[in-house]
Amino acid sequence: MPEETKQKSLFEKEISRKDFLRTAGVVGGGVAVSVAAVTAARLSPPPETPTGKETIRDIPDFKTVEVNEKSDLLLRMQAELKKALAKPVEERKWMMVIDTRKCVGCHACTVACIAENKLPPGVVYRPVVQEEIGEYPNTQLRFFPRPCMQCDNPSCVSVCPVNATWKRPDGVVQIDYDKCIGCRYCISACPYGARTSDFGEYYTEDTPELQPYELLPNNEYGKSWNREGHSSPMGNARKCHFCLHRLNEGELPMCVTTCIGRANYFGDANEPDSLVSEMARQSNQIKLLEEKGTKPSVIYLI
Amino acid sequence: MLEKTYKNLSRIWAVVFAIGFIALVMKFLTGERLAGYGSYVPWGLWVALYFHFVGIAGGVFAIGTIGYVFNLTGFRENFRVVIVVSVAAVITGLFSIWLDLGQPFRFVRILYAPNFGSMMAFNAWMYSLFIITAGVIFYLTLNKEKQTDFHDKKRWMLPLMALGFLFSIAFPSQSGAFFGVVDAKPFWSSPLLPILFLASAITSGGAVLLLVYTFLHYEEFDLTHQPFRILRLTIIGGIIFYFIAEFAEYSLVFWSPNSDIREAVELILFGPFWWVFWFVHIGGALISLYLLLKGKTYQTVGTGAFIVAVTFVSARLNVLIPGQAVAQLKGLKEAFTHERLRFDYSATLNEYLIALFIGAFGVALVYFGIKFLSQFTKKRLGTSL
Repeated sequence: MPEETKQKSLFEKEISRKDFLRTAGVVGGGVAVSVAAVTAARLSPPPETPTGKETIRDIPDFKTVEVNEKSDLLLRMQAELKKALAKPVEERKWMMVIDTRKCVGCHACTVACIAENKLPPGVVYRPVVQEEIGEYPNTQLRFFPRPCMQCDNPSCVSVCPVNATWKRPDGVVQIDYDKCIGCRYCISACPYGARTSDFGEYYTEDTPELQPYELLPNNEYGKSWNREGHSSPMGNARKCHFCLHRLNEGELPMCVTTCIGRANYFGDANEPDSLVSEMARQSNQIKLLEEKGTKPSVIYLI
Repeated sequence: MLEKTYKNLSRIWAVVFAIGFIALVMKFLTGERLAGYGSYVPWGLWVALYFHFVGIAGGVFAIGTIGYVFNLTGFRENFRVVIVVSVAAVITGLFSIWLDLGQPFRFVRILYAPNFGSMMAFNAWMYSLFIITAGVIFYLTLNKEKQTDFHDKKRWMLPLMALGFLFSIAFPSQSGAFFGVVDAKPFWSSPLLPILFLASAITSGGAVLLLVYTFLHYEEFDLTHQPFRILRLTIIGGIIFYFIAEFAEYSLVFWSPNSDIREAVELILFGPFWWVFWFVHIGGALISLYLLLKGKTYQTVGTGAFIVAVTFVSARLNVLIPGQAVAQLKGLKEAFTHERLRFDYSATLNEYLIALFIGAFGVALVYFGIKFLSQFTKKRLGTSL
C-alpha cells in the first residue's frame, strides 16, 4: 500500500467522532474564551477615577488683582480655571492651544517643566520641535512645543498590558507609576514620541556628589514620588499630564505660566466662552498627525 | 571523535554562560544603565530574542504536533522531546523579555491584573496556558499503551494537542499582530507581518528540532528517513517562503515613490546595519540552504540547522529596529538631545553578552530538561525521553 494512503487510513482510524467532537469543543471553547476576554477588555471602562461632587475644588478668589478684558491672559485663564474646578471632574475637559506665531523657541517651557516635575536626564515632557521653512539663507523658523497630546483616542492606553494608564474623565491621560511594569509598549505606540522612559539617571551623577535637589520627590498626580532604590517612577514610562497636581490647586500648568510670549492657552474646552475654546475655534488651527486618528487635545495655531 | 566534539561544545557553553552571567549581574546592579535602547527606540536586542524564542517554541510544537497526528516516523516516540524543547524555548523567551522590563519584579501584574485588549497581556496569558497544556500533554504521553499509539488511555491527547497546536500557531502570528496594531509605526502596520512571523517561527522551530534530533539520534541519521527528511524539507521550504514574502514587501515599497515605509526598508538594506540583512539574514540563509540541500552527514546538516536557528533572529531584528528608527514627528530628535533620545540603536556589549547568556540558558534548559525527564521516564516507563 502506498505510504500516503496508509497514513490517511491510520489517521481516519485513530480519530473517532467522539474524539473529534471533544477536540472541537476544547479548541472552540478556547477560541471563544479568548475572543470574549479581548472584547470585554476593549469595552470595559477605564479604572475608577473619583467623579461627582467630591471632585469639586473651591479655589479662593483673587484679592489683589482685578480680572477684566485688559488683564494679562494668564489672569483670565487663572480665573477660568477656578470656574472649571468648581464643576465635577467629569464636566471639565482640559485643552491646550499653542500659538506657533507667538512662540519664539526659547525653551523656557521645557526647562520649567523639567524643574516642576524634577525630570531626570533623558526624560522630557515638552520638547520644542523646530521646523525650518525654505532653504538657507532664505529660511523661516517655526516652533512646535510638544506636550502630551492627551488624545481622546489614545493609542498608548489600549496597549498597556496591566491597565496602568487610562484616560481620565477630564481628558488627561494618566499613568499609575505603581502599576507600570516598564514594558515600554506605550512608548512605542505613541506617534508623537510623548512618552519617555526613566532610565534612572541623574544630572550630577558623574560629579563628586549627587546634588540633593535631584533626590527630592516630585509631586506628579498629587502624590510624592521618590526615585531612590529604583522606586517608581524609575523604570517607568513618563509623560506630560498637564500638571494635574497644579491644576488641582488652581494653578495653570507650569509651561503655560512660564511662557514669555503668552503662546499657550489652557482651560476647559467644555466652556464655550473660555479663552482656550475661543482660540481653538480659529480657522488657522491644526492638530499634529491628525491622520493617525488619535484626536489630540492640543491644538496649534499656525 | 564525538566525545571530543561534545567536550568542546560544553567548554564553549561554559565560557559563554560564565561571561554572560557576569554581564547579567552587572545589569542587575546598574538597572538599565548599561543598555543601549532609549525612549525613541525603546526595544532592542533582548526583545528581538524574546520574539525569536517564542517563535521557535511555536514552530517546534506545531511541527511536532503535525508529525504526531500524521504519524510520521520518529515523532510520536519523540514527542516528549518536542514538549521539552518548546517549553524551554518559551521560558527562555520570557526570561529575555523579563530582563527588558523597567520594573521586572512587577511582571506578575500581567497575570493577575491583565488588560486583554493589549497584545502583550494576551500573549503572556497564552504562554502560561501553553506551558500548562504542554505539561498535561507530557503527563498524558506517560499514560499510553505503546509509545507509538495516538491516544492516552482516557483519550484527552488529541483535544489538548489541538489546543497546544492552536497556541503554537498563535504565538508567532500574535507576535506579528503585537507590532501590527501599533499604528504609530507604519512599517509595523502590515498585514503581512503575522504571516512573516509565522513563517520564520516554523523555519527556526524546524531548525531547532532538527538540531536536537541530530544530537539525540546521530547514530540513526539518514536524510531519507523521518523525522530528518520532513524537518529538512520544512526548513528549506520555510526559508524560501520567507524570502518570497519579504521580497514582495520590499519590492512594493520601492515601487511607490510615496511609501510611508520606504525609509525603514532603506535602513534595513542600506543603513548602518546593512550587514545584518545582507550577511546575517541573506548570507546565513544561503549557507544553510546549501548545507541542508547538499549535506549528507549529520555534521553538515546539523550545522545548517544551527545557522538557521541563530541567524533567523535577524528576521526579528529587521522588523523591530527599523520600525522604531523612523520618527513620525520630524525634528523630535533635535528638539531635546540626550543619549536616550535617539532614533538609532546599537546594542551595547552588556546587551550582547546577556544575549549570549540567554542563548546558553536556553541550551541548558533543553539539555537538563531532556536529561532530567529521561531519568524520570526511565523509572516510569523503562525508556528514555
